[in-house]
Amino acid sequence: MKIIEWLSDEMTRQLILPPMVAGLGVVLLCAVLSVLVVVKRMAFVGQGVAHSAFGGIGLASVISVLLSAPAWAGHGSVFELVVVVAFCVLTALGMASVAERRGGAVQVDTGIGLFLVASMALGALLVEAARQIASAKGIPAATQPWESLLFGSILNASWSDALAALSIGSLVLLTLFLLRRGMLFYVTDESAAEAFGLPVKLYRTALMVLLAIATVVAMRLTGVVLSSALLVLPGAAALKLSRRLGVVMLLACVLGVLGVLLGLTLSVQFNVQAGPCVVLVLTAFFGLSLLKPARIAPTAPTALAASGAAGESQAISPR
Amino acid sequence: MPAPQPPAVEIADLSFRYSGAEQFALEGVALSVNQGERLGILGPNGGGKSTLLKIILGLVTGYQGTVKVMGLPPTQARRTGLIGYVPQRAEVETGMPVSVRTLAGLAASWKLNPLLPVPARVRTNVQRVLDLVGASAFADKPIGALSGGQLQRAMIARALACEPKILILDEPTVGIDAPGQAKFAELLTTLHRELKITILTVSHDLRAIAAGSDRVACLARRLHFHDSPNGLTPAVLSELFSHELVGMHVHVHSSSEPCPLDHPAGASTTSVQLGISASRTTKPADAEGGGA
Repeated sequence: MKIIEWLSDEMTRQLILPPMVAGLGVVLLCAVLSVLVVVKRMAFVGQGVAHSAFGGIGLASVISVLLSAPAWAGHGSVFELVVVVAFCVLTALGMASVAERRGGAVQVDTGIGLFLVASMALGALLVEAARQIASAKGIPAATQPWESLLFGSILNASWSDALAALSIGSLVLLTLFLLRRGMLFYVTDESAAEAFGLPVKLYRTALMVLLAIATVVAMRLTGVVLSSALLVLPGAAALKLSRRLGVVMLLACVLGVLGVLLGLTLSVQFNVQAGPCVVLVLTAFFGLSLLKPARIAPTAPTALAASGAAGESQAISPR
Repeated sequence: MPAPQPPAVEIADLSFRYSGAEQFALEGVALSVNQGERLGILGPNGGGKSTLLKIILGLVTGYQGTVKVMGLPPTQARRTGLIGYVPQRAEVETGMPVSVRTLAGLAASWKLNPLLPVPARVRTNVQRVLDLVGASAFADKPIGALSGGQLQRAMIARALACEPKILILDEPTVGIDAPGQAKFAELLTTLHRELKITILTVSHDLRAIAAGSDRVACLARRLHFHDSPNGLTPAVLSELFSHELVGMHVHVHSSSEPCPLDHPAGASTTSVQLGISASRTTKPADAEGGGA
């Protein structure tokens, strides 16, 4: 197995360990959130936020070339990460405000879809604008290949990427831990929670923001198209296997970790992209979980299928 | 009852219109519920029941008139935890992998310090209310595996775990079969006896209201009737259910004999112990009046 060879050699170990650590950090974060995403049928929100990252990347590129492309504002920089996270969080807040107007002029999924396509379109134009400004200024436009945006480039992750993934992941999980009782109430029974005085708006916004941050971090691993898979598949499979919250959370994490390790192994073995490998392994896990006689209401697979189909078609058409 | 105790709920001259709506959802409603009383609010769908409920719960503001819950404005009463709310069962995410015990503790535990475990006092209290509503036998079952009646008990336990002064039930009998409804009425009677709690039941179903109410308020935008259930005359019901509604008519006959009127095919008929049957039809002629 190539992965064993890579890990036992000092040189290649330095190449494969950072992606592995980054991947594990990301997947643990996403696995915990995925349980809430599946129960609350928020898979499409994840898709929406992930795709809105295009807008953030475009914005970061334009700022970068306007500043004459300093090294600290290049692709994969902390600066870019901050801009993308900020853009996605703002989009998530926009979606949350739409989601609030139940029975209003715009349906929730229409609103999400609207944010999704608008920010993707904006991103495409901004990236092109950055390219034109760069050529007018006579500086190299450091544009990222679309493929790495769409499907991720985890194998290029450095130790600083791994550190970023781990620290952002820990912060999100810590926040979730502190909010856990209210969040449990919000996710289980939103309207009752409101009647019992829970600040529902705050929890809805918090969940959206945490989801946005997790999505952006996951994007570095699996890219825009597949990042929301990490926010759905582990939870969807775990919910098929147990009805105890603690067990479900643990199972989602275990499946996520196995998915990353197996996915990376396959990727190294056959010299193919890591993101799609991880996602396919997780999909296989979900498929296997279906073999267990159904006990949970069939919301999980439906939400996944709906969001997957909608996301895919919208992701590919602008190219 | 001693005089200084404020009524559990006191509503005077309440009118409310949703922004952008031409018609009032509630108009000139006056209602008073004494502490320890059981009031049923009966009304057709779209008659303003949910709006009234949201106003009492402090979720809808911007109304005209005065509303007091235990002498306080509703928003404050809600924050103080005076109201225990039991929503319609359909709104619970039964896909969430939590046990009945966890569900019952949700409302009592979300405000606790997140750095500390749930105190023994709260745990004991949750166990006590689970016993009280007869849910201890299935306390460790996941909520996705419950029957409608069991889930209802779990939600009542959740409301009672906050030690409220008023229990509000929204459409409690929807989707529960006749034996289940009888058990449910029994449960409410027990709770009322044990806890001396004020109980407000909101429903469009006469059976849910008639089963365990000291007084009944009939609501279809305006308050049509507000007295003991024995005074629910056909005239009142007929006025109530025909009010701005699509083809609903109510008439009285003995519950043992068949209905003397011809119900159009497809009409759903509800008969209750009072010997009143309400039937809902979709005749186009009747539909003209309701322009919703």
